[in-house]
Amino acid sequence: MTPSVSSVGTEQGEYAHLVPLQRRYAELDPNDPERPGLREQLINGYLPVAEHIARRFAGRGEPLDDLMQVATVGLINAVDRFEPGRGSDFFSFAVPTITGEVRRYFRDHGWSTRVPRRLKDLHIAIRSALAELSQQLGRAPRPSEIADRLGLPVAEVIEGLQAGEAYRSSSLDEMLGSGEGKATLGEFIGGLDGELALIDDREALRPLLAQLPPRERTIIALRFFRQLTQTQIAEQVGISQMHVSRVLRQTLAYLHEQMAGSD
Amino acid sequence: MTYVDKDYSASNGGAGTDDGAPQEDSALRLELRTAASTVVIATIRTVAADLAARADFDLDSIDDLRMAVDDLCAMLVRIAPADATLRCRFTAHAEQIVVAADVEVEDGTEPPPTRSFGWRVLECLADEVSAEALPRELGQRGRICITVTKNAVTAQQP
Repeated sequence: MTPSVSSVGTEQGEYAHLVPLQRRYAELDPNDPERPGLREQLINGYLPVAEHIARRFAGRGEPLDDLMQVATVGLINAVDRFEPGRGSDFFSFAVPTITGEVRRYFRDHGWSTRVPRRLKDLHIAIRSALAELSQQLGRAPRPSEIADRLGLPVAEVIEGLQAGEAYRSSSLDEMLGSGEGKATLGEFIGGLDGELALIDDREALRPLLAQLPPRERTIIALRFFRQLTQTQIAEQVGISQMHVSRVLRQTLAYLHEQMAGSD
Repeated sequence: MTYVDKDYSASNGGAGTDDGAPQEDSALRLELRTAASTVVIATIRTVAADLAARADFDLDSIDDLRMAVDDLCAMLVRIAPADATLRCRFTAHAEQIVVAADVEVEDGTEPPPTRSFGWRVLECLADEVSAEALPRELGQRGRICITVTKNAVTAQQP
């Protein structure tokens, strides 16, 4: 159920056994009693593809479970609508169908403020360019670099980035329960103690840090004690840079507030 | 809130300015002056982020500057008396933005301690940070100023 990130799409071999089922499913009369069983086999068989796509959209403010459901709906549509006779293989039909379903979901559900559809689409384009460019450059891209990649004027990219600020920001409560990251606390806890000793208000800070959910504490420590950039943290923790930014802002605000209260 | 600004374009030599005062190269200067109150901080940090985006800072650096300005304004508002004025001066060079923010303070107010967590955060977010008490002008209250410098590209730690 948990395919490695690179396995889907590149190694279609693991789905080879589904191809004849697919052909058979398409050939059968819509009322054939064999169809429901085949359909279920196909949907279950291709489920890792939906999961893979859902994961690619994770860390953007929507719970993974919801994304999985939406991606699965996309997969079901793809299984039902695919026509093997058309010459293309299932993947080149299913991947855009599932991705489209998830994108539509983001467009319709992911925004706390009403933002024109044009800006939402732009924002999604910026996010994917941002991820690609960060990988290639080894740092966060500049607006001009995103504009080049998307073939858009820089001013429009800046507008899209600002629209992103209206994207639903998860509340602290929501953060408390949310997923676990790849970075482990043990990796830097010793370093953290040493660094904390250099700070006068460590006595106030230490219990606050200890209370934070592991992922929030990890992100704060990586940023302010290990001095990694947001892009590096995103990579290490396995969430998007924009999500790192949100977590940092909310957690910092929380820490400042608590520290001010303890004076 | 009042502001003073100057042409964005970097290429036109920066010769003529409205007041005729000599201005350095093509840097964009912008000054905000407002009551020292937490409600204006969101506006100020948005201005900072917008300046950084238009100066083509990388997205990490834009966000760092936004957070740094937020934090430093919060620090200053915390030490300012109720009727104080907060002043933020932004200077955007081609690859660097300098933000100098100051507030009026009562006599004897110290600059924020540099061994606090808040200061540590500022140091991580900005490339340079400093705090100073500005010399008092006749009949005026003293001012405390925090200056942060942010470069357009955030260097990656190995």
